[in-house]
Amino acid sequence: MSTFRRAQNQAHPNKTSTLMLAIVVLLILNVTIQIWLLYSGLNNALEHNTDIAVPAFAGSAILFLINCGLLYYLPRRR
Amino acid sequence: MNTSFMNDNKEKEPDWKVDFPISQTEATEVTRRQFAKFLCLVSGGLATGSAMVAAKAVFLPGKKVQGLHRVCSIHELPKGGTRSFVLEGSRTPYILIHLESGEFKAYEQKCTHLSCAVFYKPSSGKIECPCHNGWFDAHTGEVLQGPPPRPLPKLQVVVKNQVIFVTEAENEA
Repeated sequence: MSTFRRAQNQAHPNKTSTLMLAIVVLLILNVTIQIWLLYSGLNNALEHNTDIAVPAFAGSAILFLINCGLLYYLPRRR
Repeated sequence: MNTSFMNDNKEKEPDWKVDFPISQTEATEVTRRQFAKFLCLVSGGLATGSAMVAAKAVFLPGKKVQGLHRVCSIHELPKGGTRSFVLEGSRTPYILIHLESGEFKAYEQKCTHLSCAVFYKPSSGKIECPCHNGWFDAHTGEVLQGPPPRPLPKLQVVVKNQVIFVTEAENEA
């Protein structure tokens, strides 16, 4: 069995930290976009522009799935 | 013999620590892993909220005002005066305004920001929301300043035989 990954992790322990930070930044970005989608969908629905609400929901649902997918790449607990 | 017994007692962890083996760091600090999971939970909540907005917009559209509704006679409302009214079968408050120009305007009396009651400021041509200093144009219902995100919903005013009626606004999408 190769010890490459273990050796790499021991040599560059900051890698997981960078990866974790990148994932958290991406999650925050996606959540921000979702807040914007909810806000614009709600305001347009209240203004009787119902055409915005369904695409806004579709976008928000896709972002949620992407966020769930990102959790898979969280570095393992040491 | 006696001394070793006392030492054993000192080294032994207290019962409460065995029952609740959670360190203070673990209880008070949030790891980045937990934060990422929490963000995912928030994301799910936002997606659910968007779904509810979309469902409400598609399946439960707002009811339109049907037919003409009498509010009052022309003589009961002097220029610059206002009158609050509610349509039959509805609890939405409306406000009828007799502008100084002689026109009649009817708007929902709920600010589009947080639903506070709005008031016409006589001889200014503006409607004020006192809660957060929001202002609307009394001629069109458009937002002039402040936090309201949308214009005031309006009704069309029809004057027949000196009596004021309101009905659904024609140009409202």
